[in-house]
Amino acid sequence: MAKGEFAVIGTGEVPYGSYPDRSEFEIAYRVAKLAIEDAGIDKDEVGAVIGAAHIMGDSYNTELFFGRLPEAIGARNCKITASTISGGASSFSIRKTVEGILASGETDTVLVVHAQRFSQFSVNQLATYFAAAGSDPEWDVPYGMTYNSLAAMVTQAYLDRTPTTIEEVASVCVTLRKWAMLQPNAMFNSKELTVEKVLNSKMVAYPLTNLMCNVLADGGCAYVMTTAEKARRVCQKPVYVLSDASDYSHRSITSAKVKDFSGIVGSLGTLANRAYERAGLGPEDMDIFEIYASYPSVTLMVLDTLGVTEPGTSGQLVASGKCDPGGPFPISTNGEAMGMGHTGTGVGLSVFVESVRQLQGKAGRAQVEGARFLIENCGGGAFMDCHFTVLGNEVPGGFAS
Amino acid sequence: MSQNQDIKELLGLSDADMVKPLPQPTPWSRPFWEATREHRLVLRRCDSCGTYQHPPYPYCEVCWGEEFSWVEAAGRASLFAFSVNHFAVPFPFWGDLPYVTAIVELPEGVRMISNVVECDHEALHDGMELEVVFDDVSEEYTLPKWKPVGR
Repeated sequence: MAKGEFAVIGTGEVPYGSYPDRSEFEIAYRVAKLAIEDAGIDKDEVGAVIGAAHIMGDSYNTELFFGRLPEAIGARNCKITASTISGGASSFSIRKTVEGILASGETDTVLVVHAQRFSQFSVNQLATYFAAAGSDPEWDVPYGMTYNSLAAMVTQAYLDRTPTTIEEVASVCVTLRKWAMLQPNAMFNSKELTVEKVLNSKMVAYPLTNLMCNVLADGGCAYVMTTAEKARRVCQKPVYVLSDASDYSHRSITSAKVKDFSGIVGSLGTLANRAYERAGLGPEDMDIFEIYASYPSVTLMVLDTLGVTEPGTSGQLVASGKCDPGGPFPISTNGEAMGMGHTGTGVGLSVFVESVRQLQGKAGRAQVEGARFLIENCGGGAFMDCHFTVLGNEVPGGFAS
Repeated sequence: MSQNQDIKELLGLSDADMVKPLPQPTPWSRPFWEATREHRLVLRRCDSCGTYQHPPYPYCEVCWGEEFSWVEAAGRASLFAFSVNHFAVPFPFWGDLPYVTAIVELPEGVRMISNVVECDHEALHDGMELEVVFDDVSEEYTLPKWKPVGR
């Protein structure tokens, strides 16, 4: 991929939260229309539709695999439809699929759709599913592991091995809530949090309290991606993909590549630097740090690697308020999983869609004024991988062509 | 067990809902579970390169060797990371709350997820020395767990 070869020109999103009467299909069809309208193109320009397979919902997935989306939204000139998934890293693997299709020349316009409805499942179904998703069914699940206990162990290790305090971890929840309060579609956008409230909420898995654990949500979003050439022609403010950098570590946390995880994600160390270098930019050029972490301690581990603070001290940075709305280091401006709600494979997509909105100047009350460049990330599994992406509404050094 | 019974009645759960998940061995992991049944902790060592691998896969992750020995482990570990579960666990584990899940590191160089038992939760700390204990969770299966050395 050459720098700035592909661009996003429009996004769509529905409210996140508990909407048991709203099917995945309704979500998918709605966000598709919103994204195409936002892009300002005709639906008949869409030549490929890629759906994010969603977690646990077999019937929706089957429909995706069998080509429901292009028919339903009336994409009459669609040539390719497919579903791509890599858990929480799906926003990355989907976009790579899209870039491959665009590079093939078969079409210059691709629509990406995500929809999730967790509220159709019982609490025990969800607990059991996520226990086995975050942990090895043979080696971990018989010990009563849950996704929260996995994140709790990672948090405990991070607190043990860095100067970070549990109050600083709680301050991440407060900051993410402040951002979510500015988002009309966020699940948690009505009540402010305080560090005390977070610390005093019910203990779920020490050291994580209830308000440090994300909540599963129904929701969905979509975006339209095209070639840079077409983007410049049809869109006033396209958002260009400037670079990516990726690494995979493990399935089971016990097999993590880097043994000293003072930050498990942070152990992926110099990954963000590689993304910066490939974009020809540095951390000082970033206007926003769109971190996908799902748990507040993991937000700190990612922030530790972004070149804005010494590793292990990002807790101090967040607690100082500098990552809040109006601060010099905005993070996760839609509140991420903790604020938007956790939509399974969709968290990374919602972070990506928010990244695009910010760079298009369409982020409403959450808008970071004059944002030009940002770095965003996603990752899946039990912290199995990490992908950093630098986006911009201009291409440093101009276009290669 | 009373907390366990409470949630069962509260939510109208069936007996099947309260059955704890057991290991589902593969052909290449079965010797591990056969040994724990006899209250022995064994690890798989590659005959070609000497690597201990846990969890095991059909061939050695390092050299792709296919010949192995199952070697008696020292039965010691150090606590690498832990969490204390208080809420929102799958229903079969409700009666065990609060319980400790942990990553333990064995001197043989492998890590495992397990429970730390017979311990004061307040006194848990990373680097703590542990020794293996065996929990016969069913007729067929025994889970290796860990407790602080000397307790």
